[in-house]
Amino acid sequence: MGKNVLLVDDSSTMRKIIGRSLRQAGIEFDNIFEAGDGLEALAVLEKEKVDIVLSDINMPNMDGISFLREKANRSNIKNIPVLMISTETGDDIIGEAKSLGAVGSIKKPFTPDKVNEILGPLL
Amino acid sequence: MKNDDFKLEQGIVTATKDVFSTMVMMELEDGCPVVGKGGEIQSNISSMLGLGGDVRGILAIHCPADVARGITGAFIGMEVEALNDDVKDAIGELANMIAGNLKIHLAAFDMDVKLAIPTSVIGESYHASGLFGACRIAVPFVSTDGPFWIELKYMLNG
Repeated sequence: MGKNVLLVDDSSTMRKIIGRSLRQAGIEFDNIFEAGDGLEALAVLEKEKVDIVLSDINMPNMDGISFLREKANRSNIKNIPVLMISTETGDDIIGEAKSLGAVGSIKKPFTPDKVNEILGPLL
Repeated sequence: MKNDDFKLEQGIVTATKDVFSTMVMMELEDGCPVVGKGGEIQSNISSMLGLGGDVRGILAIHCPADVARGITGAFIGMEVEALNDDVKDAIGELANMIAGNLKIHLAAFDMDVKLAIPTSVIGESYHASGLFGACRIAVPFVSTDGPFWIELKYMLNG
């Protein structure tokens, strides 16, 4: 059985670009689910089988940090790994994300090679 | 502190070229930056992003319609025929990444900058104003589809 990924970004363009980068990096998923913010992401995680989440940080309604915090409080989804993909690179924000369970981060802009380098070992 | 102290013009050029070469697969030529008033900007779409923290202001990308369509097409990998939601979203995301790179540039000068979420406007004739007394830098770029501009209006906190 293959793996499923959830892409969380308020930019639909960026979700397409990340999906394309996954393919260019040779990383195949059976299903690519999408969400426009943390609230939508939680709804997808409650409904679908997701193996890994790639999430932005700065988003409306529920940002990436609040998403991680809320996810950590839900026993049925708290162990699903989350990799942050964001323009945010500061130790304070990335450190907070990691303290809430994020397994790593990719800085925007990124190349498919960078996605493969960081995401590949997590799969 | 003056512009020269933290090399803002060079920071904008480097940040913008990096985003375009990495994400749009497009190499840019940069023109002479305009500091203060002046410099004619032709634009049918502008995407703006608020900055907070040690540098308060707005970073904007301004594009003529043909240029915005061309850049978006190269970014998402398909032809774009109109200034639609895809163009607004794509140009906004480019502004977001340029601001993110500029934030890293400023961090090297111990400047902590917070980023807001981008907003895009489309029109034939509009004028964006605000931040009375702010400093301004406008940098022209030439892409394979034509010219566009990155404009930073800012004030230093503290």
